[in-house]
Amino acid sequence: MSEEMKKGTKNATGEWDGEASGPGSSSVSDPLSDPVSRRGFMKLMGASMALAGLAGCTKQPDESIYPYVKPPEDLVLGKPMYFATAHPFITGAVPLLVKSDEFRPIKIDGNPEHPYNLGASDPFTQAALLDFYDPDRSQHVTYRGENREWAEFEQALRQKMAESRDGSGIYILSATITSPTLARQWRAVQAAWPKLKLVQYDPAIAGTAAAGGLNLQYDLAEADVIVSLDADFLSGAAFPGFHQLVRAYAGRRKEPEKGMNRLYAVESTPTTTGLKADHRLGLRASEIPAFAGELARAVGVEGVAPPAWPWTAAQKRFLAAAARDLRAHAGRSAVVAGLYQDGSVTALALAINQALGNLGRTVFLAPEPVNPLPSDQIADLQALVADLNAGKVDWLMILNANPIYSAPANLNFAAAFDKANLVAHLGSHLDETGQVSHWHIPAAHFLESWSDARALDGRVSIVQPMIDPLYGGKTAHHVLQALLDEPGLSPYEAVRATWRPVIEKGLKKPEGGGQLEGGGKAEKGGKTEGGGPPEDADFEAGWREALHRGWIEGTAFEMNSPSGGNAASRADAAFHGKISAPSPKNSLEIIFRPDPNIYDGRWSNVGWLQELPKPVTNLSWDNAAILSGAALTRLGLEEDDIVELTVGAGRVTAPVVVAPGHPDNSVTVHLGYGRQFAGRVGAGAGFNAFLIRNTWAPFYAKGSIRKLDGKWGVAITKSHYQDQRPKAFGGQGQGGNSLEADEAITERGIVRYATLEEFKANPGFANESESYNRGETHSSTDRSNTLFPNWPYKDNKWGMSIDMASCVGCNACIVGCYAENNIAVVGKQQVRIGRILQWLRIDTYFEGDLAAPRAHFQPMTCQQCENAPCEQVCPVGATVHTPEGLNMMVYNRCVGTRYCSNNCPYKVRRFNFLLYSDYETESLKLMRNSDVTVRSRGVMEKCTYCVQRISAARIEADKENRPIRDGEIQTACQQACPAAAISFGNLNDKQSRVAKLQAGERSYQVLADQNTRPRTTYVAAVLNPNPELEDEPVEHAPAKAGPGEGLRGSKR
Amino acid sequence: MEPGEVQRGPEGEERAGLDERVDPATGEFRVIAPGQSFRSVTEKITRIVLTTTTPLGWLAFFGVGGALATMLLVAVTWLFLKGTGIWGITQPVAWGFAIINFVWWIGIGHAGTLISAILLLFKQGWRNSINRFAEAMTIFAVACAGMFPLIHMGRPWLAYWVFPLPLTMNVWPQFRSPLVWDVFAVSTYATISVVFWYIGMVPDFGTLRDRAKSKFAQHFYGLCSLGWRGSVRHWSRYETASLLLAGLATPLVLSVHTVISFDFAVSVLPGWHTTIFPPYFVAGAIYSGFAMVLTLAIPLRKFYHLEGLITERHIDNMGKVLLATGFIVAYGYAMEVFMSWYSASHWEAFMMWNRAFGPMGWSYWVLITCNLAIPLTTLWSRRLRTSMPFMFCLSIVVNAGMWFERFVIIVTSLYRDFLPSAWGTYRATKWDYMTYVGTLGLFMALFLLFVRFLPMIPISEIRTMLPGAKVKVPAAADTATEAGD
Repeated sequence: MSEEMKKGTKNATGEWDGEASGPGSSSVSDPLSDPVSRRGFMKLMGASMALAGLAGCTKQPDESIYPYVKPPEDLVLGKPMYFATAHPFITGAVPLLVKSDEFRPIKIDGNPEHPYNLGASDPFTQAALLDFYDPDRSQHVTYRGENREWAEFEQALRQKMAESRDGSGIYILSATITSPTLARQWRAVQAAWPKLKLVQYDPAIAGTAAAGGLNLQYDLAEADVIVSLDADFLSGAAFPGFHQLVRAYAGRRKEPEKGMNRLYAVESTPTTTGLKADHRLGLRASEIPAFAGELARAVGVEGVAPPAWPWTAAQKRFLAAAARDLRAHAGRSAVVAGLYQDGSVTALALAINQALGNLGRTVFLAPEPVNPLPSDQIADLQALVADLNAGKVDWLMILNANPIYSAPANLNFAAAFDKANLVAHLGSHLDETGQVSHWHIPAAHFLESWSDARALDGRVSIVQPMIDPLYGGKTAHHVLQALLDEPGLSPYEAVRATWRPVIEKGLKKPEGGGQLEGGGKAEKGGKTEGGGPPEDADFEAGWREALHRGWIEGTAFEMNSPSGGNAASRADAAFHGKISAPSPKNSLEIIFRPDPNIYDGRWSNVGWLQELPKPVTNLSWDNAAILSGAALTRLGLEEDDIVELTVGAGRVTAPVVVAPGHPDNSVTVHLGYGRQFAGRVGAGAGFNAFLIRNTWAPFYAKGSIRKLDGKWGVAITKSHYQDQRPKAFGGQGQGGNSLEADEAITERGIVRYATLEEFKANPGFANESESYNRGETHSSTDRSNTLFPNWPYKDNKWGMSIDMASCVGCNACIVGCYAENNIAVVGKQQVRIGRILQWLRIDTYFEGDLAAPRAHFQPMTCQQCENAPCEQVCPVGATVHTPEGLNMMVYNRCVGTRYCSNNCPYKVRRFNFLLYSDYETESLKLMRNSDVTVRSRGVMEKCTYCVQRISAARIEADKENRPIRDGEIQTACQQACPAAAISFGNLNDKQSRVAKLQAGERSYQVLADQNTRPRTTYVAAVLNPNPELEDEPVEHAPAKAGPGEGLRGSKR
Repeated sequence: MEPGEVQRGPEGEERAGLDERVDPATGEFRVIAPGQSFRSVTEKITRIVLTTTTPLGWLAFFGVGGALATMLLVAVTWLFLKGTGIWGITQPVAWGFAIINFVWWIGIGHAGTLISAILLLFKQGWRNSINRFAEAMTIFAVACAGMFPLIHMGRPWLAYWVFPLPLTMNVWPQFRSPLVWDVFAVSTYATISVVFWYIGMVPDFGTLRDRAKSKFAQHFYGLCSLGWRGSVRHWSRYETASLLLAGLATPLVLSVHTVISFDFAVSVLPGWHTTIFPPYFVAGAIYSGFAMVLTLAIPLRKFYHLEGLITERHIDNMGKVLLATGFIVAYGYAMEVFMSWYSASHWEAFMMWNRAFGPMGWSYWVLITCNLAIPLTTLWSRRLRTSMPFMFCLSIVVNAGMWFERFVIIVTSLYRDFLPSAWGTYRATKWDYMTYVGTLGLFMALFLLFVRFLPMIPISEIRTMLPGAKVKVPAAADTATEAGD
């Protein structure tokens, strides 16, 4: 974020004056009450003239345009404002800076000043915008299907509470509580109604150590050796601390000269973390605790007795090498425990870190969890079901949870649910649970409500509304306030009350409910309607500053506190030397994971996420039974066949999709699909894996698989491995041919990399190796020769550099691009036939043995060629070169011959084959970026380097009569990227970051031999494999001399 | 070949006259069967047009053509309502049936122009029997072809932007684009073809006017004949105009498909980016065009009993042209394969391999079978060249083969190009098929209308070839100077 933007932002950053009056609601005056305005006069005059002359003409429909007579403070039309807030998420809030255009939030990005994410975000956070504008959100309070008022529910609830003596029989089933204020309110409720019970349940983290309150943190910037024990910390926001971890991991890969880290990944289901690792070992999920035990023993943890298991030679080698590397880097290494692994893995990882002296240096235990009320969610839910079955539950209030859909199958929650006398459901959608509840209350989105949330580093952000609730939604705060009989107290005041003592005392931070409640009482006294004048100027200033900054100073965790050790022993006590034995080799394991895109189903109706190709499989719009190629052959299946998965009494039908590197005898299914009442986008996509998920095995279970007839019809956006696989591995059958197999990336030179040693021997490997330049017929060709004269660039010449070492394939950039550029969602059928509209795609290339592959993630978007083949072939000049070097689409001018797409070697142009943009839905109109055209049918579109941002920066620079500064413009993908893999700037400025990167030795152009002279260049990755494992490659090299060999730059 | 050799076939009653059809001097079939007089030629041709009873067969075929043309209308209406997404085109194969059909139809048109212009200049008298309907074929083929670039646009209502129109919007074509060259090439071609065709018909319109019985026909043909009275001055100007137009049209035969081949050759795509495309496209166009002339001529002479005017000689000659152009096309295919190796370009090598052995390799082998394997082995035999059922089937095979040639060039080059991550596939939808078959129907309907209402064989030119016209060498009649009434 530029200085200018910040200034503009911060000046504009304020708060809404209480939640009742939204921005702008009071400022639009009634034009009719103005007796005779100048405008009115002109209108009448104009109308008379028109009527006199054109009485016979068709009358155009009336459209009134009213000026702001009293414009809202700070509003300059066309100039966006930025507000700090946070995205509350189970594994830690993501601090945000939301772009607001005429008081409509239109883009969500990380808060660049927040130390936790420094502006980075993730797919979930980016897509929260569409979630907010989702037209299918519920819009009315209903009671047994009839529309009611919130006040009526409040009335009913208060009546109930008045009858109840101590709250017995009243249960709250809530999603994990992330708000400290909500926790404070809960404690107050608990004090008032001691027998009222709270159960938290979030299917994606129930049963994990994190939900139980263990807050493990890692400083990977200081770690030279990282071992991941089924920890998918590079994939997406689902892993606690994702933003920090990716930044730190990528930070140590960008400049190999300055020392790289080395990542060993032991994992079950293949993830981008494993595929990015220097060494990856695929194990079945149940084998990982035993492997962790062996690793612990190998690094010298005492008292560990891992179960005996016939490890293969390769696995032993891996273990020995990793252990030796860890020991060699004691104190400068980190063992990261998987979120979805057995508790013993977490404990073993802690023990290993402790033994290596990493605790307090690279691995930390925060004194508190980010979620203020940690609990054993599965046990609590089981108790709730028992109470329901025993008829003890009178009122059940469900807050933002969807247990009918997501409760473990063996609890038979739906049957128990019916036994409650009355169920009230607060939810954003009339979902599966809402459908069968008596009361349904629409929930407010975090972009339209007051609350607070904690980032993983402990800093508390105030969640402030950007807009009045679209559908009059309520939050959990409202429900608890109704319980407390404090309906007059708005969430705004509640949040202020919570943090009043902290802000007032500057550095003092809240320690438990007692003190906070005191604060609440203090606030109560001064309660005024609609957030009245500040009673205390100091507090008011502090509050405003906290809102403005995006977090409350003094709330960060003290990471080096000795309590870390205690937590370690806590975790240790939980496992007590017990390490579960792997399930027999021939039994089938089913791994349950929250979906990388729609998580536990909460984002089912978010088209951007549904359409997003999932990392590794590139599957969109569905979940699948993901398994290895070998398993596919053994079971006699082909990709897209339908299978039946059985666990216990539950069974589901699913399509089969292959993931290279998936362990054998193991199937991964993603949760969150198969929603019945998700809305127009999500309903009917995929299958419901919750039907085979049970309380005893939330993240992996023994099961069985059986082939059924028919094909599912999955939509997989193309990635190379599909075509490379032989038929036996579920490919399209061409992979068996040698031309095609080493065709791939070796000869095409699309992806270039070297190991650290090779890089040191030959730093220019990316451009010097002949194997990369085979497409080049005449290597001596002078690339400045063109038929058309070269373009002169006086001021700016934009360029981009993408670091292949940093990109972890998390997809945040794609969703960011969706939001910034008003990209349409095309739907599953259109994706299936290849018409996905994403301007940016992440090309995933697998190489080597597909049982143990190495993958490369290459963000591919318009390369803005200097010598663009698309420009020359457009008959109407709809795609043209700008004076700053961009290759621009003029949508108005495009007639849709699609020649440009055919002639694009990168195939990055996207065509509106049908009318994909939604021009009808009202809520989506509010969401659009007003600086970007919404493309209609028959028009070609493509990446523009976010030209609207360039223009905005140019205007600012022109006003100040200065050149645009380096870093002032960030493209949407660059801004979203947690790995800082994308750099953008002026190539004419030799001091700019991008110019330096492009001048670097490892910088290369994709398809340089086509003489397109792309503006976007890539920085070749350098890998850091352990030489010990390299001599006789175990994991990466295929059995036969395969592509892996040819790819190495210096080997030639 | 011995004249007796042709004594075969089921038509026993024609055997007696078989020897008559062969010119004993050359051993070739005569261009016009013996026993024709000025009157009989005029009668035969004008009767088809001026009769008041439309043959049932005509009605049946016209019904089929009309139905298919209606289907085209439905398909195009739906296309305009929904967008090109109803077709199978996608990323990366952004051109599909529409462009395949465009190139195919344009190619078909070429034979007509070649016959009417180049063969006129080369004084190939045998062309006279077939040039009129071949020209009509050209025009209807160009009409079908010209439709595709318009309807394949994402926003067809803006198609006029490709023309250099002085509009206030300042929309100007981008002249570096081969698509703009196409616009000029195809529109020039269509214009010249129509003018040439019409001028050629003027004397015949005069004849029809004079022989017409109904008032309407008299007026209609009278208008069309532009006051033709058959004076020597008229004939002189007519001949001059024909020669000039032939001179104009001749380069177009070569240029139109050359320009269309630039659509591909100018791009950077392996499989398209080839310098051999212009001659290879022209040869292919003539190849497919002659095949289409055969497809039309064989049923026409059968149903309208025109064996005396369109003789085995014509069919035989066209078979020879097919053989010659087929070999040029074969050379093109061979060069493609050779260059993919000789260029040492990785992309070219992969393209060729993928074209032949990739997932859509079947289309390449269909093309090789239809265009090379079948015609180039069988057309050597005069016996087969003069066998009507065989030649009809062969013409269909070659037409299919040439359609697949365009399919192979367009689809198999596009679906797997540089970045494997962007590879895709192509599958046409029912709308693609409906549009394609619909244009066949449209072509058929237009052609049948032509056959019914316009003289499909040039009366005046045929008459110049009769012995009575004192033509010295019947096989190479000089049409220009010795014409007379």
